Amino acid sequence: MDPALLVQMLIGALLGISVYLPLATGQLTLATPAFYAVGGTLAALLSTRWPVLGARIDGSFPLPSFLLELALGGALAGLLALLVGRIVLRLQGIYLAIATIALVEIVRVAILNLPFTGGAVGIFGIPQPFPSAAGYLLPALALLLLAGWVCQRLEVMALGRAMAAVREDELAARCMGIDTTQVKLTAFVMSAVLAGGTGVLAAHFLNTWNARQGSFDSAVIMLAFVILGGSRSWLGPVLGGLVLTALPELLRPVGDARLVLFGLVILSGPALFPQGLVTPGLLERLGRLGDPAGRPGAEGSRP
Amino acid sequence: MIEALLQTLLNGAASGGVYALVALGYTLVFSVLGVINFALGALFSLGGYLTYLLMGGRISANGGLPGWGLPQGLSFTPALLLAALLTGLVSLVVERLAFAPLRRRRAEPLLYLITSLGAGLVLVNLLQMLMGAEGYAFPATALAGLPDALQVAGARIRSVQVLLLAVCAAAVIVLTLWLERSRSGRALKAVAEDATTARLLGIDSGAMLRLAFLLSGALAGLGGGLIGVSISLPGPYMGISYGLKGLAVLVLGGLGSVPGAIAGGLLMGLAEALVPGDASGWRDALAFAILFLVLLLRPSGLLGRRQVEKV
Repeated sequence: MDPALLVQMLIGALLGISVYLPLATGQLTLATPAFYAVGGTLAALLSTRWPVLGARIDGSFPLPSFLLELALGGALAGLLALLVGRIVLRLQGIYLAIATIALVEIVRVAILNLPFTGGAVGIFGIPQPFPSAAGYLLPALALLLLAGWVCQRLEVMALGRAMAAVREDELAARCMGIDTTQVKLTAFVMSAVLAGGTGVLAAHFLNTWNARQGSFDSAVIMLAFVILGGSRSWLGPVLGGLVLTALPELLRPVGDARLVLFGLVILSGPALFPQGLVTPGLLERLGRLGDPAGRPGAEGSRP
Repeated sequence: MIEALLQTLLNGAASGGVYALVALGYTLVFSVLGVINFALGALFSLGGYLTYLLMGGRISANGGLPGWGLPQGLSFTPALLLAALLTGLVSLVVERLAFAPLRRRRAEPLLYLITSLGAGLVLVNLLQMLMGAEGYAFPATALAGLPDALQVAGARIRSVQVLLLAVCAAAVIVLTLWLERSRSGRALKAVAEDATTARLLGIDSGAMLRLAFLLSGALAGLGGGLIGVSISLPGPYMGISYGLKGLAVLVLGGLGSVPGAIAGGLLMGLAEALVPGDASGWRDALAFAILFLVLLLRPSGLLGRRQVEKV
């Protein structure tokens, strides 16, 4: 398979996890493209305008600088999420979704109009830390494994259990002494850090960056990763992100109709797979496979 | 000076009227079903293209159908009304494909978001396939008979904007009168208030739901036709930004509130019109910045009802 497509699919999976994290606390936010755009713009600006990072004339870029950007992009997005989250997470349901759409649009218009982000054309000639597209496979896979490991750890950590409790019944969780605001904010910030870092990776991988990278459309597609993949486990958005990113490319032979077909998949998916592709039943079977001895009582201790 | 101000206010009120149409389109479906139809922006685009086609506009479809058009075009008013009706019918198809299957299995509201957006994606890309990605401008003779400018209190103002405002006002008045006075309008309101009780009273809630979708699509189609004739059709994605701004207006006015949608639309249009020309790039963010502020201060909108969480 084409390594460039594989990298895109991994980026899709990462963004899927980013949308999944707040959803795991029952909060529908569509802010991921805003944080993705912030991370990407930061990387594009730093690597092309800040000589200290060591971009060379032949378009190559030192790896340590790239790792520094990853950290900075994640941190900046996380900081923004911390500020915005305190405000928007007081909202519920569809109000929260619309407020985060508003955030995405504000960030998009800002990137389009700020004097130093290159306007509609954007920033191009972003230097390359890797000689070819295949080089990006390693950092993308590493990020995905890291994100997956964190999500997996969450299942047994107090924070993860608190997230599940808030998702099931926020009022009940609050009554049990869970600081629901803090739990929701933590998930929101984690989602933003991941999206920001993914933006840094994507900016270098795509070589150009502009305001179109984080739009309302992309918010919907990313949400579809989670819904069609399954929102009960982080494996769902990963599968959804991989498949739905590859789908338009695989449909390329159909020509102009490919985006219509893609829309039809998103339109009919929720009715065909109401719980997504990775259903709770499937997870249980997977869990049994991974644990053939079957600890006694393990089944019963599951909430 | 006065002339410029008057023109600015009129421009604002005219685009505000269109935002109000879109917001009312959301409101109709939201009040009956409690979910937002995210395909409305795509229906807005469709209305614009249908008006253009019905008036005999030529399309090229990326060169696939060079110079193709209806042999006989209608004049603006019948074309606009017919396009709105056709868009309403397509909205019914959207209901059938994106909403009905989920309603039957009582799915969670989140899923409607995805399916309606999927329906919008299909519509926009179908338009792109059939009409091409290029923009179209209505012929200069589209509004033949209407003078280019009107003389109001000694100031000359563009008459297209007056037409826009008048059509929006007429649509809003007809809709309000229908909701308040007619039997079917009141039945719709009853279903919106309490579907179960309405059903016990013998109201066919399914029919009311379809009526809401028909009207909602027609309002969006009307908006698309009006923007098309007053500005142009920049491409199949034109409706997305109007759909998003309508969403901002919807929340601004309070979900499910008809007067709120109208007031919110006008407010948003006027606020945008008052953005100075050298900051016009930021204009698109204004609606969302206002929305953000409103959500902070009044989470249920300017005219919305406060909802109390119950155990």
